[in-house]
Amino acid sequence: MSRARILRLDVNGVERSVAVEPQAILLDVLRNDLRLTGTKRGCDMGTCGCCTVNIDGEARLSCLTLAAQAEGKRVTTIESLGTPTNLHPIQKAYSDVGGSQCGFCTPGFIMATNALLVKNPDPSMAQIKEALSGNLCRCTGYIKIIQAVQVAARELAPPQRPAVAVAPRRPRP
Amino acid sequence: MSMLLPPFQVHEPSTIEDAVRLKAQQPESDWIAGGTDLLPNYKWMLNTRPHVISLHRVGALREITPKRIGALATLTQLATHVELRESLPVIAHTAGLIASPLIRNSGTLGGNLLLENRCFFFNQAHLWRESINFCLKASGTQCHVVPQESKCYATFSADLPGPLIALGAEFELAGPKGTRRIAASKFYKNDGIDRHEKRPDELLTFVHLAADASKWRASYQKLRQRDSWDFPELGIAVALKMEGEKLGEARIVANALECAPKDVSHLADSYRGKPLNERAIDEIAAAVEQNVRPVKNTNLSPSYRKKMARVFAKRALLEARGGGVRLNGARA
Amino acid sequence: MSLPPVANPKHDVKVPDVDPEEKWRPYREPLAPGEHPHRPPEGYKILGTRVPLVDGPLKVSGQGVYADDLFLPHMLHAKLLHATHPHARIRAIDVSAAKRLPGVVDVLTGLELGTGHRFGVLPLTKDEEPLAAEKVRYIGDLVAIVAAEDEWTAKEAVRLIRVDYEDLPAVLKPMDGLKPSADKIHPDIGIDETNVQKYVDQEFGDVEAALRKAEYTIRRKWKFQGVTHGFTEPHAVVAHYTAKDRLVLWSATQVPHYVHRALAEVTGLPPHRIQVIRPQVGGGFGGKSDPFPHEMAAALLAMRTRRPVKLLFDRDESFYSGRGRHPTENEFAIALDRDGTLRAMDIEAVIDGGAFASFGIISTYYNGVLSMGPYKVPAFRYKGRRVYTNHIPSGAMRGHGAVNSRCTLEVLLDEAAEELGLDPFAVRLRNLMPAYSHTINDFRITSNGLRECLETVRAASKWDERWRRLPLGQGLGLGCGFYISGSNLPIHWDIPGMPQSTVHVKIDWDGGVTVHTGAAEIGQGSDTVAAMIVAEVLGIPLDRVRVYSNDSDLAPVDLGSYSSRVTFMMGNAARKAAEEVRRELQRAAADVTGAQPELFVCQDDAVVNQADPGMRVSFLDAVRKAMDHKGALVARGSFNSTKMGGTFKGATAGLAPAYSLNAYVAQVEVDLETAQWRCTKVWAAHDCGKALNRLAVEGQIEGSIHMGLGQVYSESLEYRGANLRNPNLLDYKIPTSLEMPDVEVFIVESNDAEGPFGAKEAGEGPLLPILPAVVNAIHDAVGVRMHELPVTPDRLYEVKERQGGWKKPTLPKASVTVKAGGRHR
Repeated sequence: MSRARILRLDVNGVERSVAVEPQAILLDVLRNDLRLTGTKRGCDMGTCGCCTVNIDGEARLSCLTLAAQAEGKRVTTIESLGTPTNLHPIQKAYSDVGGSQCGFCTPGFIMATNALLVKNPDPSMAQIKEALSGNLCRCTGYIKIIQAVQVAARELAPPQRPAVAVAPRRPRP
Repeated sequence: MSMLLPPFQVHEPSTIEDAVRLKAQQPESDWIAGGTDLLPNYKWMLNTRPHVISLHRVGALREITPKRIGALATLTQLATHVELRESLPVIAHTAGLIASPLIRNSGTLGGNLLLENRCFFFNQAHLWRESINFCLKASGTQCHVVPQESKCYATFSADLPGPLIALGAEFELAGPKGTRRIAASKFYKNDGIDRHEKRPDELLTFVHLAADASKWRASYQKLRQRDSWDFPELGIAVALKMEGEKLGEARIVANALECAPKDVSHLADSYRGKPLNERAIDEIAAAVEQNVRPVKNTNLSPSYRKKMARVFAKRALLEARGGGVRLNGARA
Repeated sequence: MSLPPVANPKHDVKVPDVDPEEKWRPYREPLAPGEHPHRPPEGYKILGTRVPLVDGPLKVSGQGVYADDLFLPHMLHAKLLHATHPHARIRAIDVSAAKRLPGVVDVLTGLELGTGHRFGVLPLTKDEEPLAAEKVRYIGDLVAIVAAEDEWTAKEAVRLIRVDYEDLPAVLKPMDGLKPSADKIHPDIGIDETNVQKYVDQEFGDVEAALRKAEYTIRRKWKFQGVTHGFTEPHAVVAHYTAKDRLVLWSATQVPHYVHRALAEVTGLPPHRIQVIRPQVGGGFGGKSDPFPHEMAAALLAMRTRRPVKLLFDRDESFYSGRGRHPTENEFAIALDRDGTLRAMDIEAVIDGGAFASFGIISTYYNGVLSMGPYKVPAFRYKGRRVYTNHIPSGAMRGHGAVNSRCTLEVLLDEAAEELGLDPFAVRLRNLMPAYSHTINDFRITSNGLRECLETVRAASKWDERWRRLPLGQGLGLGCGFYISGSNLPIHWDIPGMPQSTVHVKIDWDGGVTVHTGAAEIGQGSDTVAAMIVAEVLGIPLDRVRVYSNDSDLAPVDLGSYSSRVTFMMGNAARKAAEEVRRELQRAAADVTGAQPELFVCQDDAVVNQADPGMRVSFLDAVRKAMDHKGALVARGSFNSTKMGGTFKGATAGLAPAYSLNAYVAQVEVDLETAQWRCTKVWAAHDCGKALNRLAVEGQIEGSIHMGLGQVYSESLEYRGANLRNPNLLDYKIPTSLEMPDVEVFIVESNDAEGPFGAKEAGEGPLLPILPAVVNAIHDAVGVRMHELPVTPDRLYEVKERQGGWKKPTLPKASVTVKAGGRHR
């Protein structure tokens, strides 16, 4: 552990400091060091999308992101959007419409959806399919996932509510 | 804490000069930009190094203009850049065809230009490669595609070099002794291991497009199985200068069929000054098919890819003749 | 295929004198629509509606706990050493360097463990070990397990283990498995000197005679590459041998009960000191429905180290774990009258079992016998062989054994229809089994909605106007399916009276209803349907019900989420438990009001006198009254299939308490220059008896279509020699959102007499028809008949070249001259 460095990450609006090896991968830091286990490890190679998080609002594969490269950026994970009793509209849509069956790919899809709807609040079907084409689902056949995105987009219709739940930046006590 | 990569030191220069200097200090190192090519290979213990120099702080490399594009421009940025879509639509279009939208958000121009060649004897986890006694490209002495010990047949798998070569781009390299430029058409070497002219101590910094690049009518046609993620089974890039109905100049690149993009522009030489009609296009496309030799290390059969080289060359020529790639607003 | 006969046949089945007409005679009338013995008096309030899964909010907020999300104090990380030789004796293993690595806590090898820890999902073929003790049988087989303080150290340690192998001849072609071998893969299992693990030879009626005197026969050979489940969650397990000398195992499993049994056998612990907990599971599809070597190895390591041990597979390890669809070579022949009436069916199949038996005995049967429905087959012959090879073990993947054979048969029917000048729909309709009848091998068909499925998709797809009439490059195809709704007989017979599913219901003073079931929720919605059934019977809102299905200490046994049995079996058990509670509540209401118990019904969160609706006791009051001097209410319901079926060897394989049926029409578009193709639309009608949760049933149909389409489009386990060439999700190509067609789902409800409220299944059956529908659609589009999957563009192109080009097939007129009594081919 003598090679460890302190990484300062902004995760879900909170500044977190972790001691990690230089080669640490963001996915592993999120899951193992910060115990934010909502982001999943499905393949570790960028071929499934289960590890999708948002970095500065963009959908990114955390399994292929060096944790060091996430320093100084805003990292948001599925946990930032809502809780089971206070679901974000995207989460509620996925749950209500049947866009989640086993749920393992769900956090990745929801974070990809979040990034999409921030950039493009009224996406066409083709744009939705394209935006989600980096996430694999084996349960749903994508059909109810796409419906969920459409429902969420209508729910979030501008201008009232931004898709990203932005917590005020505050240092960790 | 868990770590799933072989240990390496990460260096984070903030200028090109720092980067080059660090590289000279740590010759046993790899550059990393987005990491979408390097990290999977490192996770599978493919030719790993004890030092990695991350370029993510070198802001100068993020520039995008129609004349000069920084190596750190992401593929998403290239695909959506308004000016680029306007003046060099084939580049934006090609960038949008690469991998998946998530990978494009991280992957960069430089990463694509320097993408490691691929082969299904190479791109495997350590256990798998141990079971075949490794291969010439990683820890072994034999090529398994064409069994012999001197040449690696790993296939060139990047898309952007295709249209960049066709547009006459130049790559700028920064090294300890200064910078230099190489024509993209001369940059790549037809070998799965010794793939390009960049020296190990050099950093690929910018891609330069000639002033007249936007005057070419260009097209890039890519064949792959799924519409996301999959590497090219082939790509044909065409850039044309037309004089009315007649062909002025043509550049044709047969990409992802061999160990390097193959400039087959000479196949159109005898058609210069003549009408580029359907028959001429057919003949050129047929000649492209004759001039490529894919091997069996991708997912579709080499004989099919060879035949499709003709089909896709024709499509690229037709699209280029008709004005080139047109981008509508739909593609994000 | 001319399969060689088996050397010492013991179990050939010949039933020459069978009376098909007798078998096909319905034994009862279907239920009237809307009527069902389980139907609540006031009709359905919850069942039949669209109910979001009860655990949805947890999953969408990232708070579902999967096995890899578990962190126990002082936990170790384990990694496995896999074999790099396909078939080899283990002479020696040197773990010294591994053990010396700082952070390594323990290393266990199969060599050290020795034999004597055998297990396997089927009692007759316990051919698996936690770690290979004497020899390895495929590249990927487990050799050793390392526990270390962190994952990387464990991986490093694995790389430091040196194994001295002595190579044995490897069997890499399934047909080679039919030959005698001096180095059998499993010397003490199998039937003779070959590597055949299981054979089935059955004949009902006289097939030879039927083929000889048929007006028309057709025979085709097919080849199917192996495919795998591709769930997004890799296998993961946490094992802990606690201070109380109990072994606790958390595992991503579909079958906690089978894991429990295997752990007892392998560890030697009595079953009551073992606890199996199923966390949230990220998909199964049959890939997590065996007790696994890695689960056993992790458990043993936990017992040795006395620390919790977590093992998460890398993606390639999940590929090596296998249990996917068997690579199959089959040959079907059918005999028909010129009007399309089926006269005989003759099947041969060789399936590549890989290194272990898994569910293979059953797979071998299913590859033949599940073609006995849904059409009337008067004479049937099946020769099936499952061979051991040194490939990754095959097992039960969604649609188990029926998918490939169904594809072959349905395409054959399409080809036959074409040559006879018949419409494919007409051929199906001519041969439909009646509802509530028997096949000639004594499968008992109950409800049968196939006719309605066929008519629905025919109309919805505008088949009559468009089939054979779309431009070259576009086509429509029909495919049908038939699948079990649970296997009639359980696989373990050591506890003859144990029900296949038991459900407990507990209600206490708070009015909350706890449902305990061992049924494994794997994303299909079994927890939700359990809650829905109980809520419906008790007339209460869904939010009163909480389902506990994770923990073997608390949950009564359900055999597991495989073979599409959960809705049927657990559903009936849950219904019965709830009905017992309902009777208690009726009695309580009677006690309170003085009226007769039978007058009361449960509805609207109350117990109401049907004859005098003003007389009502709230649910809570009724519960509390029922608790008088007794305490919390507990009720039990269980399910066991009715005894049925023939008495010949293997009679129970394929026997089910009900069958689902379906018909799909698929539309494809083919790029005429490149032979790339897309499925653009599917009209899918599935008879599930009754859709208890319509949302979940749709989801299963849509997901099944995606998985089946993958097998036709791009999924293939490709071998290069002994190595699986593509154990990763880039080169094993699961279709993305861009490849998925539009799907119109039609739920057909044939109202099964024995299914819970009429329900059968929707978990696997919906996968079957998409393969033949697409293959037939490709033929309609471009006139190419593929007999090999997947239909990748290079293969399609190649077949087209051999044929001399694309050709739009024409509308039916008989293209063969059929002479009565003459054999066509």
